[in-house]
Amino acid sequence: MIGNFLDQFWSLTFGGLSLGFIYILIALGYTMVYGVLRMINFANSEIFMVGTFATIIVIRDLFKFTQASEPATGLRLWLVLATALIFSMLVSGALSMLVEIVAYRRLRRMNSGVLAPLISAIGVSMVLAESVRILTDSRPVASPRAMEKKFIGQFFDAGIRIDNTIIVTSALILFAVLITFVNRTRMGKAIRAVSMNPNAARLMGINIDGVVSATFLVGGLMTGAAGFFYTLKYENTASNIGFELGIAAFTAAILGGIGNIKGAFYGGLALGLLETYASFFLGTQWKAVTVFVVLVLVLYTRPNGLFGEALTQTRA
Amino acid sequence: MNERQQMKRQRLISVAAVIALAAGSAVAIAPASNAAPKTITLAFQGPLTGEEASVGQDELAGMKYAIKLFNAKNKGKYNIKVVEADDQGDPAQSAKVAPGIASNKKIIGLVGAAYSGATIAALPYYKQTLLPMISPSATRVSITDPAAQGGAMGVPVFHRIPPTDKVQGPSLFKLATNGVPSPKVFVVDDQSAYGVGLVDYMKPSIPAGQSAGFDSVSDKTTDWSATISKIKTAGANVVIYTGYFPQAAPFFKQLRDSGYKGILAGGDGVLSPTFVTLAPASVLEGVRLTAGTVPLAEISAKLEADFKKKMGKSSGVYAAEAIDATNVFLSCVTKGASTREAMLKCVKAYKGKSLTGATIKFDAFGDVAGGGMNGFEVKGGVITFTGPVK
Amino acid sequence: MINLRDKGAAIWENQGRFGRIGIALGAMTVAAALPFMGGTILNTPIADYESVLVYPIAMFVLMAIGLNIVIGKSGLLDLGYVAFFAIGAYTMGLLGTRTGLNTWEILPIGIAMAMFSGIILGVPALKLRGDYLAIITLGFGEIVRIVALNLGTLGRSEGIINIPTPPGIFGIEYRFDSHRIYYWTLLMLILLAIWMVRRLSVRRAGRAWESIRQDEDAAELLGVPTFKYKVWAFVLGASVGGAAGVFYASKTLFIAPDNFTLQISILILACVVFGGMGNIWGVILGAVILGYLPDRIRFISDARLLVFGLVLVIMMNLRPDGLLPRKKREKVLPNKEKP
Repeated sequence: MIGNFLDQFWSLTFGGLSLGFIYILIALGYTMVYGVLRMINFANSEIFMVGTFATIIVIRDLFKFTQASEPATGLRLWLVLATALIFSMLVSGALSMLVEIVAYRRLRRMNSGVLAPLISAIGVSMVLAESVRILTDSRPVASPRAMEKKFIGQFFDAGIRIDNTIIVTSALILFAVLITFVNRTRMGKAIRAVSMNPNAARLMGINIDGVVSATFLVGGLMTGAAGFFYTLKYENTASNIGFELGIAAFTAAILGGIGNIKGAFYGGLALGLLETYASFFLGTQWKAVTVFVVLVLVLYTRPNGLFGEALTQTRA
Repeated sequence: MNERQQMKRQRLISVAAVIALAAGSAVAIAPASNAAPKTITLAFQGPLTGEEASVGQDELAGMKYAIKLFNAKNKGKYNIKVVEADDQGDPAQSAKVAPGIASNKKIIGLVGAAYSGATIAALPYYKQTLLPMISPSATRVSITDPAAQGGAMGVPVFHRIPPTDKVQGPSLFKLATNGVPSPKVFVVDDQSAYGVGLVDYMKPSIPAGQSAGFDSVSDKTTDWSATISKIKTAGANVVIYTGYFPQAAPFFKQLRDSGYKGILAGGDGVLSPTFVTLAPASVLEGVRLTAGTVPLAEISAKLEADFKKKMGKSSGVYAAEAIDATNVFLSCVTKGASTREAMLKCVKAYKGKSLTGATIKFDAFGDVAGGGMNGFEVKGGVITFTGPVK
Repeated sequence: MINLRDKGAAIWENQGRFGRIGIALGAMTVAAALPFMGGTILNTPIADYESVLVYPIAMFVLMAIGLNIVIGKSGLLDLGYVAFFAIGAYTMGLLGTRTGLNTWEILPIGIAMAMFSGIILGVPALKLRGDYLAIITLGFGEIVRIVALNLGTLGRSEGIINIPTPPGIFGIEYRFDSHRIYYWTLLMLILLAIWMVRRLSVRRAGRAWESIRQDEDAAELLGVPTFKYKVWAFVLGASVGGAAGVFYASKTLFIAPDNFTLQISILILACVVFGGMGNIWGVILGAVILGYLPDRIRFISDARLLVFGLVLVIMMNLRPDGLLPRKKREKVLPNKEKP
């Protein structure tokens, strides 16, 4: 078994890493909102699901790819990928802001605690998932292949595939942009201020509604990017994929320390690798059990997750 | 006459039937008498909302299609109503829907339940009120197996069109390994009762030394890299997936993209026209499938086109089975069955042709007697019939 | 906004002893008479009205009362409540089919099993706070389902069939289709659970929970053994879930892992919050409505769950504290950290 594991080590690791980067981006959607509002943004999973469909709309309906068509190359390929990425981010970002306004804003103003918005979010999730299900005749939808999945290199025994490389590098870039945004810009500072002490922030003249909207927008943008990468890698989606991936990403956010952007990063990577290794060793059916046992152990030894809570700690 | 020719002939018969139907509706003769149409109520039970809705919605479309054809043929003579009983594929939901259907005496036949678990939860109520059921997709062996715990629990009301897991399991293995000199088979199930059942009944037919391993992967899985690593480690050259098409397509795609060159195979849960739209034709080329029936498009492109025109979407998984099941009831309706007792008697005695031209006749436990498995292969993005699996 | 709970409480408090007994008896009579109202506007299309009364309505009410001890009384967010329901049901399934024990004998065993697993989960999990507890309990719920899905003795995905119905008592026969009998028995269990909760709420445990819910740190500083009382709340909640599970398995005759998904946990949580967390009448009302609604609106067929989701969003926005909120003085002070 160990010998087999070593044989497959690098290909498992690469698989786990690129899955982990998708988790990271979805986890950011949970963690940003939690950092500011101390609230589980339950609808984030369905915002992700809508993001995957946005990508398919671009690839299939805008650029007219079909299952039989040739994958794009050169400049056209980059155009397709960039359009799909931006479109998915915008759709998810806008939806995320809309969800905040419809499901959370009124409750937040009434100081209603964390449970009422949670139930409201569950309702929104149902509405989104069921609407998409009805629109898609309850069937899964495939994304035609826009990019040929070729191997661009070799690392020990494992081939390095182009889509995984794109996912990892773009996710790193997005993550760096997000860190810069939160640490360097005015809005980023406002977000951190609200996260630290909302009342003091309000007294300092910060527009709380604006900051919360911006937080949801940023979280939605990241989640939408995850939708794009997911579709690029797996080329399939359905109205019911959100739930499972959402739970996984939420677990990742907690593993790293929810509310902490860096925590989402390491939590996502750790979860991606853990799931992949555990599936290999213990059988895929025990994957979820392993993840939760590890989560309990981590939280038991480090009660605030690997990196602790709060956006304020993003500065290394 | 070899199998291929026989199949072709069967197909010709069906095509002729469909054309005749179309012609009948084109002539549009006014009803001979002004007698009020006879109202017959049937029911469908399966998942119509929620996460499992895909299977149920596809079967319901098949049922409605069959009724449309029937109405076109018997202009104004019958008014067929369908009660849609949504059980979300969940036994708990089924247990509250079933007594409602059972006590609604207008319903004289039930197409479903789609899932075996929901069927088992519903059976006590249908048995008590003698509501005949014909399931297009509940393939769990124990429902009709007299040797199972508590005997064949489906008797007398339960019938089903597809062969059981017991028939399909070994056939699937046979088809998958057909022509492979030294097969090393890796079997992956989807943790559903359907997938696990197929594997359980396949296991005894796998000769020693031909098994490369098993894996059991939740049907919510999207990333298959761990399973793929296991398959590669095991050096398998045949991979069988016992689950449904929404997962089969991405799994096969990821497996091929990782460089796997061997054979891919799946059961009737994969045999859906949607399956081939979920991955590039090059990826799915050569995928081997088994099923008790054949997809509509394979029977004739015309039939599929007609289905799409009438139902507004392409036919789905178990569509042919749903049509066959509905046709059994409808044919009994034309024979005058208008009560549950008469319907049950008629279904028990029914002997007719399926869409593919095979004989449908239920044995004492509700299975189609001697129902064999057909083999298929994906060729150029189309699921094509390759002959019965023997 | 009108606080229905306060209005209701006023009526209640202004009554003398006989008036109160009258109100309570009246409520019970209405509940007990529900099975006879199948022919009225209450009737559910397609699904059988009396079965719907048993599951989901009465079963949800019982579970919501149990979950309310955990969430409403002591403020612990439990997203894996279905685990205890599943443990009760599988205890019934296993013992009922493998041993000669009957439902009434298994009931205490199932409750004990659920309580025991409540301790196993609660002791490590309750050292953590808030949302971490949510994910740990959620994970536990999934683990129970996955174990049932993979363990041969539990029937794996095929589940357990032929679970016996309860033996008759006092000349009452429990046939699988005597829904009314099951419903009335469940009413008894619900009354028992309400009685238990009310007894505890006015005693030391109730006060300890209340202090934990309002400010855990302050409670700890004032010498309340918070951890002990949190575990106690968790275990009591588990016991009600276990009892519901045993009875459920004995009613449906067949259980499978599909019956115990995360969705059930979420739905029960929704019942508690929707009705009015911490107020037993609100919780009951919430469970009745959320259990009943999906079956009442079956005529919309395809968009049924969509409408259900919309109702959740709209109602939570209109009444954030639930339909019948707890009394004003019981409300937690708003967290100063919140925007």
